[in-house]
Amino acid sequence: MKKCKTGVYICMCGTNIAKMVDVEGVKDQVSTLPDVALARTYKYMCSNPGQEIIVQDIKEHKLDRIVVAACSPRMHERTFRRALSTAGLNPYLLEMANIREQCSWVHEDQATATEKAKALTRAAINRVKFHEPLESMSVDMSSSTLVIGGGIAGMTAALELAEAGHFVYLVEKADHLGGNLARVDLTAPYLDSARDLIVERITRIRNNPRIEVHLGSRVTGVKGYIGNFEGSVELVNRLDNILRKPVEIKIGSIIVCTGYKEFDAARITHYGYGKLPNVITSFEFEKMIRAGRIETKQGKTPQYISIIHCVGSRSQEFHSYCSRVCCMTALKYAHELKSANPDSYISDIYIDMHAFGKGHEEFYNRTSEAKTLFLMYAKNDKPVIRKAGPKDDCEMLIEVNEKLSGEVIEIPADMVILMVGMEAREDSAEVARLVNISADKDGWFMESHPKLEPVATTTDGIYIAGTCVAPKDIPDTVAQARAAAARVLAKIAKGKIDVDAVYAEVNEDLCAGCRLCNVLCPYSAIEFDEEKKRSHVISALCKACGTCVSSCPSAAIKGRHFTDQQIFAEIEGVLAL
Amino acid sequence: MPIRVNPKLIEELDFYGAEDVQFCYHCGDCSANCTHTDEIYRFPRKSMRSLQMGLERKLETALEPWLCYYCGQCSSQCPREADPGETMMALRRWLIGRYDFTGIARRFYISRASEVLAIVITGLLTGIGFVLYGYFLGNLRIYDGEGAFLPSSLIHTFDLTLGSLIGVILLINAFRMWRLTLYNERSVHIPWWLYLKWIWLLPFHFFTQKRYAECESQRATPVFMPWIIHLFLMLGYVIMLVLVMAFIEQLQAGPAINWKVHIFGYASAVGLTIGTIYFIGSRLRKRSEIQYKKSHSTDWVFVILLTIIVITGIVQHIFHRTGMPVAANITYILHLMAVVPWLLRMPFSKWAHLVYRPLGMYFAGIRKDAILRQEKKEGILVPNPV
Repeated sequence: MKKCKTGVYICMCGTNIAKMVDVEGVKDQVSTLPDVALARTYKYMCSNPGQEIIVQDIKEHKLDRIVVAACSPRMHERTFRRALSTAGLNPYLLEMANIREQCSWVHEDQATATEKAKALTRAAINRVKFHEPLESMSVDMSSSTLVIGGGIAGMTAALELAEAGHFVYLVEKADHLGGNLARVDLTAPYLDSARDLIVERITRIRNNPRIEVHLGSRVTGVKGYIGNFEGSVELVNRLDNILRKPVEIKIGSIIVCTGYKEFDAARITHYGYGKLPNVITSFEFEKMIRAGRIETKQGKTPQYISIIHCVGSRSQEFHSYCSRVCCMTALKYAHELKSANPDSYISDIYIDMHAFGKGHEEFYNRTSEAKTLFLMYAKNDKPVIRKAGPKDDCEMLIEVNEKLSGEVIEIPADMVILMVGMEAREDSAEVARLVNISADKDGWFMESHPKLEPVATTTDGIYIAGTCVAPKDIPDTVAQARAAAARVLAKIAKGKIDVDAVYAEVNEDLCAGCRLCNVLCPYSAIEFDEEKKRSHVISALCKACGTCVSSCPSAAIKGRHFTDQQIFAEIEGVLAL
Repeated sequence: MPIRVNPKLIEELDFYGAEDVQFCYHCGDCSANCTHTDEIYRFPRKSMRSLQMGLERKLETALEPWLCYYCGQCSSQCPREADPGETMMALRRWLIGRYDFTGIARRFYISRASEVLAIVITGLLTGIGFVLYGYFLGNLRIYDGEGAFLPSSLIHTFDLTLGSLIGVILLINAFRMWRLTLYNERSVHIPWWLYLKWIWLLPFHFFTQKRYAECESQRATPVFMPWIIHLFLMLGYVIMLVLVMAFIEQLQAGPAINWKVHIFGYASAVGLTIGTIYFIGSRLRKRSEIQYKKSHSTDWVFVILLTIIVITGIVQHIFHRTGMPVAANITYILHLMAVVPWLLRMPFSKWAHLVYRPLGMYFAGIRKDAILRQEKKEGILVPNPV
């Protein structure tokens, strides 16, 4: 082992570290260690002058290893790596000792905190000896994108990408584009036609040579990593019964926009859906409006219409979440019913009126102006629908414990519209597995960060948008679709994908081909080479978690920058008192 | 048993002036601000809710509308501009229609045309009747005494007949009010002696209209004017009523002024004139107090007729006393043409407040006492049936 020249820098972090750790003591002790060429303390190592000290020392003293004893590497490892690069040293020849979060901030005794800081710094000095210069690579970025789902989200994302000049494969399971929005008549709160929204987009998609639409198809396989995915698209709704070979496609990114399905109203028995003929779901009512005839199953124009909110949503037995669009859709129905038949009486039976979006509160006001009867029920005290008697002038009676009056009342109804909530599609788990993303307990796909990364997933290159993430309305869906497209465009614009130099490597001479690591890898980053009978890590997918390294029975996998040698040296450094 | 909702009621109440009740989203600010709401009678929010939901049975049992004196605080601070004050007013109109067994009140509130038509016809019939009487049996040049165009004995008989008719209608309606509010509502047991215990409320509220003043006392800058004027007007009516019913013959005699009688007549005329001018002015300006911002068509009929009555009454008196019997007789007939429809309209209009308000206070006192007694006895909270 050749001798190395290590520079050690102990940060005071103002008084953050210095008030509990005797930084001079640490300096004095580590100065005596072999391989340490110099040790310094400084008020703020991360500041520009602090970094400049490191750069100057590397140049002057020909240092070849750097240890910074300061805060967590999560905070400033990048900063100091950049300083090394500036000085012409490989950035991976740096090691940080965390003497702030792990020492000064958590200890109350100065002596023990100082002892611990010494130990951690020693460990870093021991470890850094075995650091190797690593080079990060970059891979090519394919500019084609696969969009799964042809609803408003998928269509929007596809158009955004194609109109920016890139190729898109748009795969839709049904035999037409439009998704759930195609089942809707008008949209709330401005009462624009949903049809107009969709038709215009379908036309643009059809006329765009950069979009290849696969209807009645599904994605059956996805391999590869960001920039270099390979997918196969298979026809599922074959009319001609002729087996066709799957279409193999090469793409750089995937946007998942698989949407939602509606809650099955028959699951709530006391609403009598399926038994009482004039209890219908919101989608059945949409169908009725699009056909232009609002009538009961007996062919009569309904005089009393009740709309029940939160069917399947915001309840303990079914879904705890709010489906977000039903309140405004219900108000929209009140409008449509009242304009179709001004002599009708509409009651709106709700838990809470969620009118959070732009124009929603105003829409609620307009609806109350039209004398819609708003009746409030408690979450766990759902209304009960029963058939009316022969003497009543209505088909059904809805009994509900009305909260604002405190009375148990019954409301006459000729037609009841159940505002069914949104649910994850039955195949959402399958889709999640296919593209290697995760889904929450309700089946909604999970973002890599709910606030800061709303369209990215834990797998690079896979994005999610629209109602497959959570219930949302059209503006939010479109915004997400465009956000996902923008993320893809940013990657395409860069042209190359940087892959971190820290990843796992399989030593093919040692690998027995047991494939244990293939199933353990949480990022599906390990593939099996059938010809060589050896496993192989796709470095672009690897997140360097180390699971495979520790599990390999043959010790054939090495975690770069986390080698056994480095780890042992670190442990020895801590223990060598 | 669940209460049946009547979704149509809210549209019916439009005719009575509750045009904005649908905006209410039940924050309860109105009830929190109301001077008159208490632990038993909670309004206006609860009344608004019953109205929105069309709980007819509850509304016709309600005494709350009679407890509200429309200070307008609730309406001026309502975040939804749902106008609770006017809603309570509309409910009073609706209740007058409910109590009235003839159905005329309801008709008048729903159709302005029918009311105007009824007034015109009654006025014309009155005019024609008296003119025919005078033409065949009297002399236009004689105002009082032998051969008078409209002899005071005739007017006296006519007044008493008219008064009895109105009295009977009002009595029946008051009985109906009692049956709807106290008798039919069996969930509250009312011992008979409570009716005696609280009987003093009737004359007390009739003469003082104390609650009207209480409304004002809560304001930052109380305006007692409407209350005082209202009191003037009301006392004016009462004095005039007594004069016309009992002393018409002394009143009509002349042309010398009989101070013993006429002093009351003048006092009454002053009260009525001030009241009339004040209320017309307020309704026209629509700004001074919130209760005059909205005027139902029936309110206008009332003040217009009152104006005609006051002017013709004063003018015919002056004509008579200054020796112009012909002019006096003609204005007298015009006066009667306005007085008769105005009086006959009383049980079917806002004028009926004269009876229902003190009765409402009386019944409310009884019911509250009964509820509190029952609560104490049974040790449980007895909800106000409304």
